Amino acid sequence: MVASMPKLDEGTQGEKLFDVPYDEQTNQFPDEGTPNRLFDGIRFADLPICDINATPNNTIMTLSNSAGCVKIIHSCGREGFKNTREGTNIAAQATGITLATRGIGIGMKTVRVTVAGLGPGRMAAIKGLTMGGMNVVSITDKTPVPWVAYPRPKKRRKL
Amino acid sequence: MMGQHAKFIARTVFVQNNDIEQACRVINRIMGSEGWFDQFRRTRRYEKPYMARRRINFEKCKAIYNEDMNRKIQFVLRANRVDPFPGC
Repeated sequence: MVASMPKLDEGTQGEKLFDVPYDEQTNQFPDEGTPNRLFDGIRFADLPICDINATPNNTIMTLSNSAGCVKIIHSCGREGFKNTREGTNIAAQATGITLATRGIGIGMKTVRVTVAGLGPGRMAAIKGLTMGGMNVVSITDKTPVPWVAYPRPKKRRKL
Repeated sequence: MMGQHAKFIARTVFVQNNDIEQACRVINRIMGSEGWFDQFRRTRRYEKPYMARRRINFEKCKAIYNEDMNRKIQFVLRANRVDPFPGC
């Protein structure tokens, strides 16, 4: 509400983040030379992509090459978590680990990550990827945020 | 030619020293402070016009209150006064 009150949580609900000072001098953000920057000897634009779709009820992860051709799909449901357990950060982390091991098996060790949605698996999935041994180069948010909501969304739930 | 909001250019953060926690925090903080998450949550369900009006009025009041309160706090906390104890 007002500035003197505690801040609302950002990102994933329930995961409280604190202020981190960031340095703009350390190549933290992309610039015009970014597509040609080398990571493990590969151009940034040619790196494989790991897409994470974090919905409230599930986390779906796909691994594709730089052209967008999907090689592996994995989700919390496929991982063995069923029903409500699909929408937890633990499930997302386990999914990330499995996807990372399989991806390394087909030679995709260094990836760039895109995340969509504000589900509980948003950060846990990326964490799982690194725990599985993948090298995450960059994190991109591609959550579709409409400023003009069209078509008109569903009506609010009655409580 | 790349567009201004091309994927992997817009809303992108590089991971420094394999510290993904830090990178996640940076991108979440920037997007949170710019109101992307609020807008996302707001558009999941239809917001009726009366609710939009109420929200905007409330935000206006909040901004005015915060501005005044900040000014007040800065006034109380001001340092290096010419006369440190005025009136004494």
